[in-house]
Amino acid sequence: MIDERDAVIETVRGRLRASVADQADPRAVARILSAAFAAPAPSRWRRWLDAWHLPVMSRVGAAVVAVIALAAGFVARGVLPNRAPVDPMAVTGEFPIPVTPASDPRAGAVATQFVFEAPAAQAVALVGDFNRWVPTAAPLVRLPSGVWTVTVPLMPGRHVYAFLVDGARLEADPRAATVVDADYGRPSSVVMVPGR
Amino acid sequence: MSSSSPSSPIDPSLPLRAKAGDRQAFAQLVELCYPRSLRFALHMVGNREDAEEAVQDTFVRVYHHLGQFRDDGRFEPWLFRILANRCRTVLAKRRRHAEVIQYGDVPDHDAPTAVDGLDWMEEIHKVLATLPVEQREAFLLHHVEELAYEEIAAVTGVKLSALRMRVKRACDVLRVRLAEVRRDDR
Repeated sequence: MIDERDAVIETVRGRLRASVADQADPRAVARILSAAFAAPAPSRWRRWLDAWHLPVMSRVGAAVVAVIALAAGFVARGVLPNRAPVDPMAVTGEFPIPVTPASDPRAGAVATQFVFEAPAAQAVALVGDFNRWVPTAAPLVRLPSGVWTVTVPLMPGRHVYAFLVDGARLEADPRAATVVDADYGRPSSVVMVPGR
Repeated sequence: MSSSSPSSPIDPSLPLRAKAGDRQAFAQLVELCYPRSLRFALHMVGNREDAEEAVQDTFVRVYHHLGQFRDDGRFEPWLFRILANRCRTVLAKRRRHAEVIQYGDVPDHDAPTAVDGLDWMEEIHKVLATLPVEQREAFLLHHVEELAYEEIAAVTGVKLSALRMRVKRACDVLRVRLAEVRRDDR
């Protein structure tokens, strides 16, 4: 056997394996899910390139591809309809999380992530003035840890919202500043979405 | 070491459910695979920010390419193939910017590090950083992530004999360099 283990390699292996916590950080998982669910699906060309599974494109290869792409762009210019550029989601770390740049087609909207801990809940929905408090507008996805998350596009400004738990109970966001909704007298929360 | 892979903690039905559009299943996959993915990326690229970016990018790619996942395949080698590529891309970008790998922020929690008065983690990271990328990758996949050589071959596209040689060379360097450090420390 070429790579038989010995005390040194076993020690190295043990140290490296112990260097990262066994449990995933729920916030990191929530960020990843928001990015995955919100990011636009890659184009057919992108899928084709990804299917190559090239470890690292060589500089020469990259240059060739760039030249071809440039040439194709010139050829296609004026022939193909213009498509608005779509930015991938980038996610920050606090809750609720304004996510910029937004991929929302509405100009100026900022994708904002909401996270709510409710391990015993069967369903959680985000309701607020931005979706007219419609229970079906923004269902949250449950992570195995019992944390629920959703990312929605919000226009800059002040928004009042709450979480609808199991379709029956409104709960304020414990991570956000809580206010009493003047219309209904129920606890709700406020998120301030910054302008871009 | 046996070339067989340890039993996978991933329920084989999970990636298939995710492939069928079940977001909960994908969320569970992310939660289960995140620690190993972050560990591999940290030791490959050497700093947390780049590692987290590589891991997030990897899972986003996985999500959008689940349709290409073979129903009879194992999920983890497929995941690590994409992750290894992302890490290589990060390292290539860094080389272009002539940056130096720094392992200062790699340890994630209070794992004991001192053995015989020696800060093993620091030394291990220093030696890892000196290894060629392909040797570091093969060593981490085989000895730390415990992928079988056949699975690593699928990850890297490299022949088995070459993979074994890469792992052997990485082990040789680790043994020699860590023994030197140990002697100096005494």
